[in-house]
Amino acid sequence: MAIDISRKTWYKLDLSANVYPTLQRKNFSSVYRLSILLKEKIDPDLLQKAVDITLPRFPSFKVALRKGLFWRYLEPNLRPGPFVRPDIINPCMPMHFKGNNRYLIRIYYYESRISFESHHSLADGSGGMFVLQTITAEYLKLCGHEIKPGGYVLSIDSPPTKDELEDAYLKYATSKVQRSRSQDRAYRVRGTNEPFYTLNIICGVMSTSEVSRISKTYHASITEYLNAVLLYSLYQKQKEEHPLKEYPLKLAMPVNLRRFFPSITLRNFISMIYPSIDPRLGDYTFEEILLQVHHYMRYYINSKFLNGDITTNVAIQTNPIARTIPLFLKDFIIKTFYTRVQDRQSSAGLTNMGIIPVPPDMEPYVERFDIYMGQPFSARTNCAIVSYNDVLTINFASSIIETDIEELFFRKLVQDGIHVKIESNRTMEVVK
Amino acid sequence: MSYCVHCGVELDDTAVICALCNTPVINPRQEINRLSPLPYPQKRGQVERVKRSDLAILSSIVLASSGLASLLLNILVFKSSWWSFYIIGACLLLWVFCIPAVIYTKLPIYLSILFDGVAVGMYLLIIAYQYSGYDWYLSLAIPITTMVTILVLLFIFLHRYFQTSILSTAIYLFGEIAVFCVGLEIMLRNYFENIIYLTWSSVVLVSCTIIIGALITIITRSRLREAVRKRMHL
Repeated sequence: MAIDISRKTWYKLDLSANVYPTLQRKNFSSVYRLSILLKEKIDPDLLQKAVDITLPRFPSFKVALRKGLFWRYLEPNLRPGPFVRPDIINPCMPMHFKGNNRYLIRIYYYESRISFESHHSLADGSGGMFVLQTITAEYLKLCGHEIKPGGYVLSIDSPPTKDELEDAYLKYATSKVQRSRSQDRAYRVRGTNEPFYTLNIICGVMSTSEVSRISKTYHASITEYLNAVLLYSLYQKQKEEHPLKEYPLKLAMPVNLRRFFPSITLRNFISMIYPSIDPRLGDYTFEEILLQVHHYMRYYINSKFLNGDITTNVAIQTNPIARTIPLFLKDFIIKTFYTRVQDRQSSAGLTNMGIIPVPPDMEPYVERFDIYMGQPFSARTNCAIVSYNDVLTINFASSIIETDIEELFFRKLVQDGIHVKIESNRTMEVVK
Repeated sequence: MSYCVHCGVELDDTAVICALCNTPVINPRQEINRLSPLPYPQKRGQVERVKRSDLAILSSIVLASSGLASLLLNILVFKSSWWSFYIIGACLLLWVFCIPAVIYTKLPIYLSILFDGVAVGMYLLIIAYQYSGYDWYLSLAIPITTMVTILVLLFIFLHRYFQTSILSTAIYLFGEIAVFCVGLEIMLRNYFENIIYLTWSSVVLVSCTIIIGALITIITRSRLREAVRKRMHL
């Protein structure tokens, strides 16, 4: 069913989107970035045209965030923009809700790369990927190529549907019991904070088939293998520090719920899982960590457990008492809960968007994808994985100076026989 | 193509060092490519300043209309005394306090503190006018307001232009507390008794001097400073 964009239109924030604006600080916003690397240099004028004709197809991205008395909401943004701009060294910089003509997305270009940044309150990575790929397809069309919609590319002639804008959490949370969400405190990487306006990126490019081959030798999937490598790096790092008290090592990993529930929403529809090991139980070898992650994922990632998780979240937010608390109190409570509990539950973030499909017509023009989880809320590092054809990229984004985790991570891959190429935006001093 | 000799990862042609371990790239067979574009741009982005004109207009109008409304009420309805001056003065005071936050954010902090001081002086003048007591206003209110304003300005200056560790901030704070108490007692004695002598403020002065002495010792001895930093870190 088509929807009507008029002055009466406004959208409630979806369930998980409510959390992100409350974490907003002067130097932090929950912004993620998706990039597509094409084979030819980008023409900014054509890209701007492509953005202008594509965005009306995505009404939930052409919005401004407003405050109500009890909740925030999104209203259609008819101001000029968003405008494409040359890329910067510090991606995912904070996004003020009133800046940038109130748009919560940014589009950058650099050489042959188009980058799309979005505030997490609008959509998760999959939702954003639809916008990025549709913009890219329109851009390529303006360059004179013919691209048919498919995969993440939507037709801009078809009207947006209600299902694309639904809050899928409310629809699919049907579990009769709520799963407890309390977790132990996890190990946290201590590092020296970089000054404001710095986000260090270390990008590892490798061959998907090679990583897949190595994972198979361990009888695991690519995600399980890379999860285990990151846990192993954190494990070694904690061991090196010789702490008086050891903490469990946990990764916060978003799971795309569209794989388990038949929703086509372009907004947030993810749930967090926490693959972990507990070094207090004894020493681990890499193989043991991998086995642990493998079984955890196979046991946990299914529609039943995930349903239980989202039902917990839905129950909290639909509680009549919780709903009538004024927004400023909600903000305070959520922020306190997040900084005191949730943020301490994980040692690092890791996301794997898997293999990104593109329409066959577009394939010859696309080199690779890059995704960035954005600035971490506390001093640590976030890892985002994406693959396209035979190119797998692993992007670490961190706001600390130390690169120990990244070094241990990529060294383990190299030791396992994977050829890794590193690119970075770091401008470090040469040590003589 | 060059590899990091330490980590074994392949590096970009343009890389000068390995981003993972900071090891310089030395490859006699292949010079570092300084001509091709770097994998990431070098331009640094800045978050644009948010215009707060709506809030500025709203706060100005709310304050102006409450001042005006009370003035009209005073003239037309409750005519017993000039009570509306208090409200108008308070509105003006609030408006001046609001300037750096919402109205003109680029105002240097020193100027805004100066304006705040002048506004407080003005409000006290209203009180003095209502009670026909210019005597205390000239010899107590004005000197105390001036002193507090100067001390605040000095604190900000010290905090901005010199060391800004917690310890040095504490030194400035205790120093200013001592000066404030001594100054206050001198003014009070001068006004009420016409003789200048110190009693209670001397206790404050001595305590602050001892604290400042201890703090200076800690700051100048690096070993002590490190010990404090270790034990007190947050």
